[in-house]
This record gives sequence, structure tokens and C-alpha cells, in this order.
Amino acid sequence: MTIPVNDALPVPGGLPAPGGPGVADAAAASGAARGRGRLRRSLALCLPAGFLILLIAACFLWPLVGSVPSPVGGSVLDSSLPIGSPGHLLGTDADGNDIFSRLLYGGRVSLEVGAATQLIGIALGGLIGMIAGFSRGLLAAVLMRVLDVLIAFPSLVLALAIAEGLGPGELHVIWALSFYSVPAFARLARAGTLKLRDQNFMLAASLGGTPRWRIVLLHLAPNLLPQLLTFALLGAGVAIIQEGALSFLSLGVPPPGASWGNMIASGEQTMSVQPALVIIPCLALLITVATLNLLGDALRARWSAR
Amino acid sequence: MTAVLEVRELSVRYRPRGRVVHAVDSLSYSVGAGRTVAIIGESGSGKTASSRAIMGLLPRSAQVSGSAVLNGIELIGLGARELRRHRGHDVAMIFQDPARSLNPTMRVGPQIAEAIRAHRPISRAAARERAIELFRLVRLSAPEQRYSEYPHQFSGGMRQRVMIAMALSCSPRLLIADEATTALDVTTQAQIMRLLTGLQAQLGMAILMISHDLGLAASFADDVVVMYAGRAVERAPARELFGNVRMPYTSALLGAVPRLDRAAHTPLPVIGGRPPVLSAPPGSAPSAGCPFAARCPRADDRCERERPELAEDEAGHAYACWHPLAGSSHEISGEA
Amino acid sequence: MGAGRVHEQVTVRESSNRSGSVPPSDAGAAAAAPGSGDRSGGASPLSRVPRVLRSSLLRVAGRRLLTAIPVVWGVTFLTFAVLNLLPGDAAQALLGADATPQEVARLRVELHLNEPFLTRYGHWLGSAVTGHLGSSLGSGQLVTTILAQRLPVTFELILYAFVISLVIAIPVATVAARRPGGVFDSITTFITMIGLSIAPYILALLLILLFSVDLALFPALGWTPVSGGLGANLRSLTLPALSLGFPIGCFYTRLLRADVIEQLGEDYVVTAVAKGLPSWRVLVRHAVPNSMFGLITVVALNVGTLLGGTVIVEQIFGLPGVGQELFQAIQTRDFPVLEGIVAVFAVVVVVVGLLADLLYAVLDPRIRYDNPGQ
Repeated sequence: MTIPVNDALPVPGGLPAPGGPGVADAAAASGAARGRGRLRRSLALCLPAGFLILLIAACFLWPLVGSVPSPVGGSVLDSSLPIGSPGHLLGTDADGNDIFSRLLYGGRVSLEVGAATQLIGIALGGLIGMIAGFSRGLLAAVLMRVLDVLIAFPSLVLALAIAEGLGPGELHVIWALSFYSVPAFARLARAGTLKLRDQNFMLAASLGGTPRWRIVLLHLAPNLLPQLLTFALLGAGVAIIQEGALSFLSLGVPPPGASWGNMIASGEQTMSVQPALVIIPCLALLITVATLNLLGDALRARWSAR
Repeated sequence: MTAVLEVRELSVRYRPRGRVVHAVDSLSYSVGAGRTVAIIGESGSGKTASSRAIMGLLPRSAQVSGSAVLNGIELIGLGARELRRHRGHDVAMIFQDPARSLNPTMRVGPQIAEAIRAHRPISRAAARERAIELFRLVRLSAPEQRYSEYPHQFSGGMRQRVMIAMALSCSPRLLIADEATTALDVTTQAQIMRLLTGLQAQLGMAILMISHDLGLAASFADDVVVMYAGRAVERAPARELFGNVRMPYTSALLGAVPRLDRAAHTPLPVIGGRPPVLSAPPGSAPSAGCPFAARCPRADDRCERERPELAEDEAGHAYACWHPLAGSSHEISGEA
Repeated sequence: MGAGRVHEQVTVRESSNRSGSVPPSDAGAAAAAPGSGDRSGGASPLSRVPRVLRSSLLRVAGRRLLTAIPVVWGVTFLTFAVLNLLPGDAAQALLGADATPQEVARLRVELHLNEPFLTRYGHWLGSAVTGHLGSSLGSGQLVTTILAQRLPVTFELILYAFVISLVIAIPVATVAARRPGGVFDSITTFITMIGLSIAPYILALLLILLFSVDLALFPALGWTPVSGGLGANLRSLTLPALSLGFPIGCFYTRLLRADVIEQLGEDYVVTAVAKGLPSWRVLVRHAVPNSMFGLITVVALNVGTLLGGTVIVEQIFGLPGVGQELFQAIQTRDFPVLEGIVAVFAVVVVVVGLLADLLYAVLDPRIRYDNPGQ
């Protein structure tokens, strides 16, 4: 899903020319649009990155620094206040809890879940995938089958089952969603390992007598990391969505705790009269995931253009 | 003899990041009907860019100026629709890597048939007949069967024949062969070149041959143009050029060709240095001085200051040099 | 002669210039071989797959099915294991919180819940293989009946969503790739990047707000079967299918666009342009077909996600599909139903994977000749 470099510039008639050999023709790839392209690419990277940082800062720091009302324990006297009410920037929900504050705390949950599931995924899944791709023979075959099974498994079922079984709670959600991220990373790491395995620098390392674990850690992992990291950004978006889904189904963070998912769930009941209760957390989810996707995509473009 | 293609002052400029690259600079030559002109140069000399400029195959960022007149029609600056009518019909091109130049998921026959039907309103069946006929022309065995086969089922030489068949489908007056035999092994190369010259004699077609292979040029070209750093530096009928080399560059190129009659382990003479960087500040004219000066054993101050222009002598031999060679002859190891 | 010919092509493929190597006497036989001869390459789709090659397609299919069986088995086993490892008790869930321990214990014996895990799995597997998927612990209904009732809804939903995603992806990607960085491309890039970030359930709620609450164009709840009229049937599924299909369609658009742009940089495209073909033809007839492979892979990989997405969407729209049933089964620990559904899901994933493989083989002749079943 790379946004490609400007190497597909159209000819009259609207279609691009090939790269020909030689300096003169190589210059064709860096045509007039490239200057604009570079600016656009830097912007495509910096804007989402900056926004993400802002988001993280807002969710984690603002309640500490600013005066934000508590996300729980609101008085029923204050229930269902509209947006812009004094003291409640975005109004309150049916229980009188401040929406803005719930938004921030819910954001904490989402970001924590996103980060945790991806970290677990990279660590465990990456390791498994590298081993699966690097080893040969029986171990590789077995691991491949296991990964196939996990891929065929409707992951949400697994997440649902685990969340259902363990009971609601943010930590349980992280466990449940890790069951999804680990195979995903394993598959990616395995594919990447297969591609790198036969490259010269890998062969050189093993010919030089380097023990296999060292090869995996010092040679393979650093080369896989960029791909894994961009995938992690996209995967964090998916995890956040899934956490929202689980909370929506009452399997995630239980009320009165704040999660974007359960905000949507409780808002759904009064959707026709107070759509804001649904729209606000929906937008929050959308914007956060979109930011992560844009950032992941920009990074992928940056790293593959190199 | 009327020229099929008349190129005058053809220039191609790119503007990466605010700089300007003179990929091709004021190139002029002409190709007569039934004649073969070879454009020789190393990578980066602009030879490919110039041929693509004629066909309009350069990216939008390329600024093409000058003139390329094909059968009386000016191609440079021609609108897209007009250009499309001439492509494949009056001028056709075959490329270096036939493996990648054919659509891998489409049968070979229909690829030729669509080339024909793009220019002539004939039925599918008729196009198919014509395609099979073209296969025969390029000496592909079992042409009916070949029609329904896929490119990967052909060998390199056969694929190039298919490309030639495709190029000839509308009987163009000019065929541009851009490094057409570079990717082939020597034997196949010879076969393809023989096929091309045979077809040329049969069809009266002009051929513009782009190559870095001097031996090939010597064997098959009527006229040769040597390019360096985007400019034509020597231009002459083949026999005259190789019999009477003027440019130190050309001479050095010829000297670098491995020869069977040299003693074993003789170091191969190389041309020191590298081709010049063609990028320059915006708005600047092409750099002063001879582009080859830095690498030329005969260069002096004048060469660095003043750019020599292409000047033609009585033998029809044009060269751009302040200190041309006195006309040494080189024997080329010809066609392998 | 046919099979032998394929073999010959595989081994002889890379030898240099074959044009002189086929003796004249073979020319007639070669012309008579299936797949060649006077059939032009443009007739009905199936005639493009010569008879001799259909057997290698069968080989592809056979190989894939063989690897599928352990996968399906593994999925059912894993589900069973997970369900058993989870705390919570089916009997308890069925009887409710105020059941006495004796009642619970009695139900457990009735439902064989006290037997060891492997025994129970063995029973289930044994009967499942013969097509008897057991009965729901809660309602006593045959699992096969439940599936028969609910699968059509879900499948129709998924199919509809899939169609929507392709209807979005293919045209948009094609037009965008023609002029990357242009106006159309920039606008659609923006829209698709946002689009693929929308979770299906979010889009579902927003669509309901927009279309059902405000505009009352589409029903927010319920499913009308085809017997109630095709139009009504489709209308009841439009919002759910859109919720699922639009985000995925945006994803496919990004993918396809990148692939088409990449293909437009290939040499054969230059050839096509140099032949004098109009640019739409170069795009549609050459670049886009060769760009499909990435999309096919992703579609096959995404089936599981699509199936999972139905759970929430069916919940929101009140569709009587398999997703909703799945959710309830998890809550009530109704393992026969759960196993049945999961097994069906696994089979669907495998079948889609198989179709993808077959599609590759049909679209890319190199695969057919090269290494069937790779």
C-alpha cells in the first residue's frame, strides 16, 4: 500500500515512460514534480506524526495539567447537557459525566491498548516469524501450519471468546487482542525473513560461522524492523478499532470507566435524540486511526523510496 | 534520396529540483530511406533519450525542443492523438529487453493483432491472419501455434522476433532499434541483425540503431553518429568513420574493444575518468568547453574554454574537436 | 501428446533460439495439440484455458485442498481448546444465575460436560466429519438447521459488501493511477485514507444516523428475505453492506492504485504506447489486469476479517445472520454451535484461498506452466 515515488510521470497521452539506462534518463525520474513531491512527502510524514504526538499529550498530560472534570461519578443533575455548556466543553452524557474528559480518558485506553498489543506482537510474533522463516525442515513446516491455522481463524472470534471468558477490563482486552497481533506479525516477519534469507549478507554471516541466534538478532531483525514498525502503526489502528468493538459489545472496559467503545454503546441508545454522544467518540476513533494510517503509510513510502 | 527522418537541433532538458539537465543537446542527423543509421554512445550519452523523444515516450517532465520530421511531418510537439496515429504506423520501436517488453499475461498473437487494429479497421480474424503472416516474415516456426502462446514460452531470440513482427505490423518507414540485441547472446544477436537487414532490404525500411556496440555499428550501419554527454561529437558514413577516426573519444572507444589479435593478458585500455555530470544551475546554457576535455589525452586550454562545434569535412565526416586525430584507421572485430 | 507437450515446454523453455529446432514433421502434430491451433485468443473465457492445462488447475486445487484439511481441523481444535480453557460454564450460563448447584450439576451430566476435553472433542469431530454437527446446548436445535437458516444472510451480506468494495476500488484506482498526483488522485487519496480508517461499526452508526434517522431511506433494523421482494431484500442489506464494504473498498483502492502505477512503469506498457494504442486501452487491457495479483492476495487474506466484521454489523442492524449467533454462542458457551460456525468460517477461508490460487493460475499463464500448486 505504498504511496510510490514520482516515478510514474505521464507522457503526452497520459502514460508514464520507462526508466531508461544512463544518467540522462535517470534524471527523468527526478522531474520537475519531484521538488513538490519531496515537500509533500515530508508534510505527509510530519503532519500525522505531529498530530499523534499532540493526541498522546492531550490524553495523558492534559488531565494532569489542566482542570478537567472527572470522567466518572458525575451527578445525575448534570445529565445530558449539550455541547458548550459551562464547565463541560462537550456536554455530558446520560449519567452526568463530562464527555470531554471521558474522551481523553478513553483515548488513554485506546492508545495504551494500541501500543501494548503491537509491542507484544512485534516481540513475540516477530520472533516466531523470524524463526519460522529462518529455519528449515520440520520446524518450519510445523510453524507454517500453525500460522496458517491462526490466519484462518476468525480473529475476532478469538478475541471475543477470550474477552468474554476473562471478563471485562483493559488488560484482558490487551491479552485478547494480542492473540490477533502476534500471528499477524509472525506472518509478516516470516515473509520478510524468507525474502532476506537468501541474500548475500545473510549467507556471508552464516559462512563466517556466526551462530544462528546472532544472525537472527543482529542481522535479520534490524532489517525487518522498519517493515514491522510501519505495520505496527497500522496494526495499532486496527487494535484501537477492535478495542472499540469489544467495549461496544460490553466486553472491554466496563462502564463507568471510559472507553470510546462503551461511549458509543451507551450513546447508541439515545442516538436519535442526542446524536452527539455517538458522533463524538466515533470521530475520535476515526481521527486517531486515520492519523496512525497516514503516518504508517508515509513511513512506508519514505522507507521504500530509500 | 529523401530522408525518412530528419532530426534538427533536437534537445531534451529535465529540471530536477530546480537544476537543469541537458540530456540531449542540439542533436542533428538524418536517416535516408532504406538506410541504417547507428547512434553510438555510452550509458548516459543521451542516445536512448533522443530516440524516445522522437516517439514521444519521455515523461511529462522532459522538455523537448528542436525538430524531428518524419516523412514531412513534424513529430516534436505533436498532440497526443496525432502522435498516436504515427506511433506503430509510420515509426516503430523495438526495445532492449524483450522479456519485459511483452505483456506476460496476454497471448502473443493478440498483442500483435491489437497493434494492427489500432491503426487499421480490420476484423479480428483478418488481424490474426496478418499476425501469422508477420510471424512467417520474421521466421518464427509454427506461426499458427505461436499465435496463441504466451511470451514466457519463447526464448529470448524468439521474443525479439515477435517484437520485430509487432513493430513491422503496419509497415513503418522507420524502425528504431533501441539496444535491440544487447540482451541477447552473440549467436542470437547475429541472427536478429541478419533478419533485420534482410527485412530492411525486403521492405525498404529505414533503421535507426541505438547501441553501445561499435562492432555492430561497423557491421550493419550505413552512417554512424557518436554521442557523448548529450551531443553528437562525430558523424560520418560508417566506412569513413571507422577508417578515418577523428575524435579522440571515438578512438579511445575503439581502442577499448577487446581484440583477438592482441597478446594475451594485455591490459585493456580504458578511458580514465567518468562521463560528466549533466546537471547544471537553472537557466544556464550547456557548459562551456568540450565535455570530453577532462578525459581526453589531447586536451589543452582551448578545449576547456571553448566548445568545439560539429564541422563537416569534404568526405562527409563531421566531428567536433580542436585537435582531431589525423585519420587513423581501426580494424574492428566485426560481427561475431 | 498434450501432456507431453506441456512438459516439453517446461524443460525446453530457456534454450536458445528454438525456431529451427522443430522439424517440419512435428509442425502438424504441434498444430493439433490442444491449446494451440486455430482458436484465437479472444473467444469465451473458458476456451482461454486449454484442456491440457485444466488438469494442472486441478492439481492446484488438489494440493490446496490437501493442505486445507489440517488447517480446518486445527481451527476447530483450537476453538474447542480455547472455549474449554475459559472460565465460565455452559450449564450455568444456560440456567441463569439463580440456578441451584444441583440443577447445574444435573445439566452438566446431561450435556456430557463432565467428560474430559479430548473425549468431547473426539465425539464432536467424529460426528462432524459425517455431517452431524450436534445440537445447540441452549435451544436443542440442530446446528445444521441453525446454519442453514443463518448462513444465507451472512453470505449475502458479505457478497454484497465485496461487490461494493470492488465497484469502488477498480474504477477509482484505475482513473487515479492514470495521473498520479493529479486532481482526481489527490482527492480520492484523501477520501480513501480516511475511509479505510473508519471501523465498520462506526460507519454503520453514522450511516444509520444519516440515512435512517434523518433521511429514512434505508431500514435501520431487520432483514427482508428475497421472498419478500428483491428490492426490499437489497435495501435491508445496503447499509450493512456499505458499512463493511466501504472501508475495505478504500483499502483495495490504495492497493490497486499503487500496483497499477507500478505496472505503468513496466516495459511492456512502453511497448503498448509505442504501438500507438490509445491510453485507455493500455490502462485497461494491459496495466490493470497485471495489477490484480496483489489485490487477489489481499482479498483472500481479508476474508477472516470480513467474517469477523459481520459480528458487530449484524448486531447493530439486527440481521439474523451467523455473526450474531456466534456472539450469543460465545456468551452461552454453546460449543456445538460455536464449533459449527467456526468450522464453516475456516472452510470459507480455505475455499477463498483456493479460488485465489485458481484465479492466479487463470490470469498468469506462467504459473500454469511453471509450478502448479506453488
